[in-house]
Amino acid sequence: MSATPSSVQTIELKGRMMLVSVLRVYQTDPEALAAALAARREQAPELMREMPIVLDLEAVAAVPEAELRAAIECVRAEGFKLVGLQAGAASERLQDASGRSDALPVLQLGGRSGAPVGEVPLEDESPAPEKAPEAPPETAVAAVHTATRIVDQPVRSGQQIYARGGDLIVTGAVSPGAELLADGHIHVLGPLRGRALAGVRGLVTARIFCRRLDAELLSIAGHYRIAEDITEAERGENRLVTLDGESLKIAEI
Amino acid sequence: MARIVVITSGKGGVGKTTTSAAIATGLALRGHKTAVIDFDVGLRNLDLIMGCERRVVYDFVNVINGDANLKQALIRDKRVDNLFILPASQTRDKDALSQEGVERVLNELSEDFDFIVCDSPAGIERGALMAAYFADEAIVVTNPEVSSVRDSDRILGILASKTRKVEQGGDPIPGRLLLTRYAPERVERGEMLSIEDVGEILAIDLLGVIPESQAVLNASNAGQPVVLDEESDAGQAYQDAVARFLGEERPLRFVDVPKKGFFGRLFKG
Repeated sequence: MSATPSSVQTIELKGRMMLVSVLRVYQTDPEALAAALAARREQAPELMREMPIVLDLEAVAAVPEAELRAAIECVRAEGFKLVGLQAGAASERLQDASGRSDALPVLQLGGRSGAPVGEVPLEDESPAPEKAPEAPPETAVAAVHTATRIVDQPVRSGQQIYARGGDLIVTGAVSPGAELLADGHIHVLGPLRGRALAGVRGLVTARIFCRRLDAELLSIAGHYRIAEDITEAERGENRLVTLDGESLKIAEI
Repeated sequence: MARIVVITSGKGGVGKTTTSAAIATGLALRGHKTAVIDFDVGLRNLDLIMGCERRVVYDFVNVINGDANLKQALIRDKRVDNLFILPASQTRDKDALSQEGVERVLNELSEDFDFIVCDSPAGIERGALMAAYFADEAIVVTNPEVSSVRDSDRILGILASKTRKVEQGGDPIPGRLLLTRYAPERVERGEMLSIEDVGEILAIDLLGVIPESQAVLNASNAGQPVVLDEESDAGQAYQDAVARFLGEERPLRFVDVPKKGFFGRLFKG
């Protein structure tokens, strides 16, 4: 018997999309690993602390188990928030009787794990549009503005761009098969033919602005619409996408 | 120093090897010393299109592994001076293409060639990445249909991030579009994407348009680069593309439906 009156809900189970970063380890040498992790954390200490990380050890699955465990400890010691382990040969070797690997849940994430064979890494810093930072060292003033990410090149099929902690502005076209992600708003000044996911960490007031909407998928704070659900009338010039309750609204600007 | 150009597409069967053979032959015909390399290790085709399959002794992988030197492996074309072919290995796979090995071969070729044409395999795996990595420029071969256009778009994205030039902090290499198997009648009937449709999505300069032509198949079967068939529309279109590649201005040909009947003859020319 439940003590709770039936009119009051106790729990609710809902599907929500969440962005998880996968940390792929290519070598387990403790010093090299610690140095690489520290260098990576330096780039954005605040974000790294709260960012959920799934560890992918499949590229080094062949090394002794002790080394794998050492690598996990090393990642933890560097202050990363580990939430799971990518499923595969390495995680199997680490599994104990309860089916957990080193007290971490084993997760089967999409995409291939292990050593990419000529695969184009889709980690957020890889796409071409962002050239290696060649600007002079950022001053404190410049740092205030880094939350907005501006991309001046076309975003092509297979490229993924993530504006972490801010807005994303793309001045050119976004091709079918390309994906834009932002914690804040997304602006596309060329035609948007790919996917655009705004407010990926739950900002329900995020919006998507585009000069020409012909998207494959639109999403705000996890609520999404696929191409099939976007009518011909909703497609067109100068569109604004907002989240209205639980559904996406597309309006002309 | 040679100019290294990669012929690529992402999708298979769109005409990369035909184009590599035609462009390389066209460049050599104009007096430029040109080498064309088959990067499609394991699926060797360029030698067939170039008609030199019976003269293959050593291949690209042999040179990379040091089993043979470049002089031994390069096949001199019998029809055109200044044209050399470096065939792929049929018995190996693409993992045999080490970055250092490819770089060494290209450096050595660069010393006395004007152009190095790299015939990329389909896909976005190692072979394609190696063919593009050291390139100075790219020719993206695309058919006027949606899957080919999307794959070309993907390749353009990869070219923008995965070349030596970019990794050393330089600008992305320029890529130009070569639209092949173009059939103006089918475009007019709405069955095929137009030059404008493709251009709008890919947004790169147009190097040329090669019409769908029986001459291409005939040339392949005969082991004769189609550019040598000067009577054919495809051969002439490739000659135009080579001229534009070298910086000449040429109007597009074979992109309109041929006029028929009395008025067609009246207004011809």
